[in-house]
Amino acid sequence: MPTKEPKLFLLGSSHKVASLNERELISLPSDEVDSFYQGLRSLPGMKECLVLNTCNRTEIYGTGNGSSPLLSVRDYLKDFRQLEADFLDRHFYQHEGEAVVRHAFEVASGIDSQMVGETEILGQVKDAYEDALCRKSSGKILNRVFQRSFQAAKWARTHTGISRGQVNLGNVISDLARRIFGRVEECRFLVVGAGEVAERAMESFNSRGCQSITVTGRTFNWCPLSRRKPDELADKFGGFALSFEKFQDSLHLFDVILTSTASGKIMIGVDQIKQAMKKRPSKPLFLIDASVPRNIEGNTANTDNVYLYNMDDISAIANENLKSRMAEVDRCRGALASRAIRLWDQLLNQSSSPS
Amino acid sequence: MDWNESRVLLWLASILYGIGLISGLRLVSKSNKLISSILPLAIIIAGFVAQTQGLALRGQLVKGCPLGNGMERIQFIAWSLVVGYLIIRVLFRLNLLGSFAAGVASIGGAISLSIPSLDSSYWENDDYTGIFPNHWVELHASVAIFSYGIFGLLATVSVMYLIQQKALISRRPGSLAPFLPSVQQLETAGSRLLLIGAVFLTCSLVVGSLDWTRPGGSVSYSKVVVIITLWLAYCSLWWLHFRQKLFGQKFAKICIVLFAVAILSLGVVRSAVSDDTTSSPESHTSDAN
Repeated sequence: MPTKEPKLFLLGSSHKVASLNERELISLPSDEVDSFYQGLRSLPGMKECLVLNTCNRTEIYGTGNGSSPLLSVRDYLKDFRQLEADFLDRHFYQHEGEAVVRHAFEVASGIDSQMVGETEILGQVKDAYEDALCRKSSGKILNRVFQRSFQAAKWARTHTGISRGQVNLGNVISDLARRIFGRVEECRFLVVGAGEVAERAMESFNSRGCQSITVTGRTFNWCPLSRRKPDELADKFGGFALSFEKFQDSLHLFDVILTSTASGKIMIGVDQIKQAMKKRPSKPLFLIDASVPRNIEGNTANTDNVYLYNMDDISAIANENLKSRMAEVDRCRGALASRAIRLWDQLLNQSSSPS
Repeated sequence: MDWNESRVLLWLASILYGIGLISGLRLVSKSNKLISSILPLAIIIAGFVAQTQGLALRGQLVKGCPLGNGMERIQFIAWSLVVGYLIIRVLFRLNLLGSFAAGVASIGGAISLSIPSLDSSYWENDDYTGIFPNHWVELHASVAIFSYGIFGLLATVSVMYLIQQKALISRRPGSLAPFLPSVQQLETAGSRLLLIGAVFLTCSLVVGSLDWTRPGGSVSYSKVVVIITLWLAYCSLWWLHFRQKLFGQKFAKICIVLFAVAILSLGVVRSAVSDDTTSSPESHTSDAN
């Protein structure tokens, strides 16, 4: 009996084949997703379809009736986003059959992400699947593929090291704070200046429930390193703004102090830290110097219960964690491939068996 | 293999504790809670059951709390350490503390069982009637050894503190440190354990002194000096930590050194049962801790 193979296909673009500028041209604006779906579903031969549209990838998964509608999807996308055929050739990939299953598993588990092992993508894939279900555009085959991809993602995170350690600088800092203080939400966090690292760290502390974020700066005017003014940052995270004149006398009140200014001067010296530690001798103090040139005197690290990190240290930890994740990618990819083959065999068997 | 033989059960406990240590360290990175925390805990509890049964059998043999020779005292300290862990894990969860405690209990237990001279058969003496002359002495000895177990747990927490602190100072992620509790949590746990241990040791001394000071009671001078020195050392340590004069790395190192001293002092504060066969049975047994 001839095998009636399911016509599963994928057309997509991601950070791997397109730069940010190119992805901006490809990505579907949220207010156009509805009309994109309508057109997609009305393409000849289209049976099921699902659109995954994130900042790093735009992918169209689908199945066809009898023949694969990949070419018509490609033309439709080209027209919808007004792209050149040559542009599509350079910045898109397409897969069919078992390769689509494998790709979906890799995307959901985070090994295809820009930041290997990140977990946000799984939520985005789940949202895309829910959206397709609501639109009734996902059917028997895509349901199986995506439900299995969630299981595969969970397996990958549990049984391999692809999500081990933090790789985002803000998360590395809050993870170090956790190793020093235990509960990040109880830490009192002071940011001096308003650089990008400061903002990422504040985001990370904020997302972990830190209630006490204070920002200070030499002036509350525009800081050359930052995208925002310090008081804007304080507002954004529901924090407090502290007068720059007072911050050096208030060091003992904070558990985590991050400096990120372009002053080029030492703002926190050994004597100030020793004075602060006299008022909190048994409580650790975590200092992060994200400035170049540095704002915190290097010798402060020799004070009891003081942990000083600079940007090189934080980046080295992030890189080491990333390296350890990367070392797990091949093992994870192999395991996901076997799972994909198993699922594809099941789909083939189901489609060839008489209904 | 005779499962009614105390040494067999104590060996089994040491092996299970060892497996608890290895499984805990190997499975620490697993995000599956069932595998990463429940499996090592189940193994440690199995070891604890075997050790409790082993000590109970030995207790029946010696007609009292089994603290008559070096092996029994080390086993009782290891047992107390695991009891301490099982209690405090309910009060404050500290990652990997069970594995570290199981490691100490496994190594201590295996060493005590491997050296035959530590397990003299003092109960086989013709004039042996029991390990303790009265229940007050038995209570004193058992509470004192239990406090040693708590101090053992304190030393374990201190080792974890030093590992975490070293990893933080070296500014490298390390393979184990990211899974250990924070330095602040470990210091807080250490402070509480020190207080609990000191309270138990104080209670033991109070109960012991009631017996030593009664007419006919006796105690060796060396034992009194060693135990009072140890008690003073732990109380001073707690006071200095409470007053924030001693903390962090120095506090952790002193906790470890003091526990080593406490274990070594067991040689001085040894059982009169195995010490001096010419003295009266009461004086033997009152020195049993």
